[in-house]
Amino acid sequence: MSSKIYNVLIGGKAGEGVKKAAQVIADLAVKHGQYIFQTDDYQSLIRGGHNFSLLSISDERTYNTYAKADLIVSFDQRSILRHLEDMAEGALHFCNEGDSEDARVIPLPLSALMKEHYQGPAHISLSAVAIFAALCGISLSALQEIIKAEFRRQVDENIAYAAAIYALIKERYPQGQRSLAANPDLPAKNYTGNQAIALGAYAGGLDYYYGYPMTPASSILHYLAKMRDTHGVYAIHAESELAAINMAIGSAFAGRRSAVGSSGGGFALMQEGFSLAGMVEAPLLCILSSRPGPATGASTYTGQEDLYFALNQGHGEFARIVASPDSFERAFSLAAELLDLAWECQSPAILLTEKQLSESMINLDLPVDDLHPPLSEEAKYTEPYERYALTESGISPLKFPGAGNCAEDDIIKWNSNEHVESGVRTDTAFTIVAMRDKRNRKYESIVKATQKYQRIARYGQGEKLVFAYGSTALELREAQKYLPFRLVVPIYLEPFPFEELSEYQGAEAIVVEHASHPNFARFLKEKLNVKIKTNILRYDGRHFHTEELIQKLKEAFDA
Amino acid sequence: MRKLISTKENTWCTGCGNFGLFAAVRKSIQMLHEAGTPMADIVMSAGIGCHGKIFDYLEISGIYGLHGRALATASGVKLANPQLKVLVFGGDGDSLGEGLEHTLFAAKRNMDITLILHNNGNYGLTTGQASPLSIKGFKGLTTPMGNVERPFTPVTLMMEAGASFVGRSYTARIEHLSQMIFQAVNHPGFSFVEVLQPCVSYNNTYQLYNEHCQIMSEIPESEEKARSLAKSADPIYLGIYHQEEIPVYHQQIQDGGASLTRAQRLALLKS
Repeated sequence: MSSKIYNVLIGGKAGEGVKKAAQVIADLAVKHGQYIFQTDDYQSLIRGGHNFSLLSISDERTYNTYAKADLIVSFDQRSILRHLEDMAEGALHFCNEGDSEDARVIPLPLSALMKEHYQGPAHISLSAVAIFAALCGISLSALQEIIKAEFRRQVDENIAYAAAIYALIKERYPQGQRSLAANPDLPAKNYTGNQAIALGAYAGGLDYYYGYPMTPASSILHYLAKMRDTHGVYAIHAESELAAINMAIGSAFAGRRSAVGSSGGGFALMQEGFSLAGMVEAPLLCILSSRPGPATGASTYTGQEDLYFALNQGHGEFARIVASPDSFERAFSLAAELLDLAWECQSPAILLTEKQLSESMINLDLPVDDLHPPLSEEAKYTEPYERYALTESGISPLKFPGAGNCAEDDIIKWNSNEHVESGVRTDTAFTIVAMRDKRNRKYESIVKATQKYQRIARYGQGEKLVFAYGSTALELREAQKYLPFRLVVPIYLEPFPFEELSEYQGAEAIVVEHASHPNFARFLKEKLNVKIKTNILRYDGRHFHTEELIQKLKEAFDA
Repeated sequence: MRKLISTKENTWCTGCGNFGLFAAVRKSIQMLHEAGTPMADIVMSAGIGCHGKIFDYLEISGIYGLHGRALATASGVKLANPQLKVLVFGGDGDSLGEGLEHTLFAAKRNMDITLILHNNGNYGLTTGQASPLSIKGFKGLTTPMGNVERPFTPVTLMMEAGASFVGRSYTARIEHLSQMIFQAVNHPGFSFVEVLQPCVSYNNTYQLYNEHCQIMSEIPESEEKARSLAKSADPIYLGIYHQEEIPVYHQQIQDGGASLTRAQRLALLKS
């Protein structure tokens, strides 16, 4: 594997600060000029169990983690045993003295030092940060600075404890393990996929986000909630997903951009509201971050089982937009794009992603300047105003209630029942057909509207052709550093970007996805008659480590 | 003042209590308008059921939402534009069955909207099933041997949930009802008006209400008193049971400012 990449693994019980330690290490690495990629493997519990975080640190952009780590810090016995096999050649695997007799593991007097430096509760996770700093040539003052910022409780004790560990490691490994070269023009801020999505939606005009906690979508709700006073965006934790989507549609009716987000189970609850958006023609952004199902499933892991669920969301016939970001940058730009498209086409749009993108983290420059400007066409109203005026495009001009937004006598009626142009209910056969045809005309309008955006991505060169969507593309891009192949990624899934993909009609390809049913392969067959040579499927909730994916790809290429 | 009745054919049964409610609502809207509220600022949402048909008959803006969800929809409307007066029409099956969670939470939050509950004691539009407010023994399509469940008492339920204005009126007391809706809409916070509404087809309660309804002369002096009066079957007390001024939801979380422009947002993200 690339000698440039330095892989770190921190493992322990939930509540020991595993993820926090990895995040602080990531911060330190970025501050010292390195690219980072972090993924956390955790379970649905608050204390105990086994959590670990994987961090790839490199001189170049890294899109995925590796199975073998150069530095492992295990806070408990389970982590030691679990990760003995994950040691790369020359790896250093540290643990607390007394936790293991195994010769491959290096005991450190963590408990003794904690006893010495803390009066009350101690931060074992700090030891990983100090070990990393000492092994990677980071100065004691830089370590102290980050502790002051990130471990503010008992800060003096934290600094003394970390300094003791740092000195111990420096003494034992005076050469260190790795030196961090400072790379110029490095993105200085770390973002998770969900943070990029939240900020993209915000850039796209999001004012109200309604949600109900469900991993892996919850952190969008948390992140936006914190932005209220600084950014003027409101994140509302509703009583249920049912409430969330109906509230969001209410806010759109009143003229403000809104969004909802959840994982598969919460989305199942939102289906009726999604159909409501189709019927009342509400502009609505929905963020669906997948995990393995069905039902509660494996709540903290990744999966791509919900492709057809997203494509077929809601009952009844109506147009929608479905797109999936293949990178962190795209998570940002696509969220803004989809919100714009939802408003331009007065249709619901789904941003389909999965835990692997939602909760993984990289250092990133948000592509703020690359966003398309919002549509600024003047609406042409009929007199009197009719919400569902029959138009060629299928899109009827929007007006919003309230003095200042509409005339005193404007009647703006959105109706979940089939309706006439004014928005009043009807059961007339003729009008049912006229309104259905009007809404159906939006399919074409949506196709046209999406064409101004980048709808597919192509990566790499080579004879072999590989298809993937969503965060699976990240795993494949890391594999491309070792194996040449062409990767084609549809970003837009509905409407399907036929024009851009026509050259792959009937092509032979390998399809990689995180599901047990080859849903995406079936989709490509349906759309492009792609001949599937091999399906590489993973459905245990875990992402592919780079080494594993390379192996699978080699087997597929050689078959 | 423009007309408030649309041209849509009215399909409520002859003698339906909804006619009285409709007349009272129009009167209250007129009062609101005369008191200075622009017509453009008055909006409604409705659920699905006989009550919901008011959406087509009443000439004001709004969303005809999903069964049970009108309060959630209305909450989203109010948050997005707090200057709007939001009237929510709900049925007893709609607001206390399918959508009970939204009713309780709108009250709990003290969302500044008004729920007008058409209490006809059954599901009328689906031709007469027992509702959350059907009395024990009610015989309907789903309870041919008689309803064995006990009904909620909406007034006490909503007081417990935290509604800051709770009242009860009757469709045949149009003056009383219109005054109450006017007060409810003007009340800052969540207001709840239970409207006793006879269903001539499946639950004709005119005689019962005409004989037993009695208007209270004042708001009960304590919550205990209000609860006991609300549960009284004879007389059935009409009037405001509870009113208090407590912080309104949207005022606690937002400043009511305009939406930022794209340029302002991008500048914030770059800073």
